[in-house]
Amino acid sequence: MNIKEEQDFLVNSKSLKDVRDFARNIIDKSPILQNQKDELVLAIAEAAQNIVKHAYKDMATTNDRMQIKISFEDNELEIGFFDKGKPVNPENIKHRKLDDVKPGGLGTFFIKQIMDEVVFKESPGWNNHLVLTKKY
Amino acid sequence: MSYKVTEENNISTVYLDGEIDMDKTEAAKEVIMPLIEAKKEVHLNLKDVQYMDSSGISVLIESHQKAEELGTKVTLKEVSKSVLKVIMMAKLEMVLNLD
Repeated sequence: MNIKEEQDFLVNSKSLKDVRDFARNIIDKSPILQNQKDELVLAIAEAAQNIVKHAYKDMATTNDRMQIKISFEDNELEIGFFDKGKPVNPENIKHRKLDDVKPGGLGTFFIKQIMDEVVFKESPGWNNHLVLTKKY
Repeated sequence: MSYKVTEENNISTVYLDGEIDMDKTEAAKEVIMPLIEAKKEVHLNLKDVQYMDSSGISVLIESHQKAEELGTKVTLKEVSKSVLKVIMMAKLEMVLNLD
């Protein structure tokens, strides 16, 4: 079964619940994805949280919207995140070392643990376009 | 997220529920941290927490470290399956006190 859906969300922490609901609804359409539902919802929500927390850092309120596109075709899951926040330098994205236990720095680690590939791409009209992929 | 706090034998138990994400962490900290700062032993009951992300995990780490600094203890009780999965993914099961 092929899936292709997209939705946009206001960039703020209150939208994260809506992002999770959007992700859960799509994952529920595929028994293959359902097997990893908790992990996939976490990866998607962490990536959305990174937009709110980092791309829009120091911007207390914004009317900007972020867009999330999820597709599952030929057993490949692809999740795209588009935002107009501060451009991200992928080289600056590092999770903390796990043995250096302190609050923060785990979101990106979770995403990389769950997904096969995490890359930033160019996308006209957007400042950041993050793509997460996973093969089943 | 909602919460309930009970006191018994000098132990404060905080019952959290729902989904703990970036939007809810401040509210969770406002309940937990004053108990730790009052040097109480704190139990966090997580049986009704259905979802926790990295922000929620940060609250658990911060609470644990603050308690150690003040010579008290935070114990996680009845950790739900979904929260345990995230704790284990972060390799914190041997760092945090789980019961």
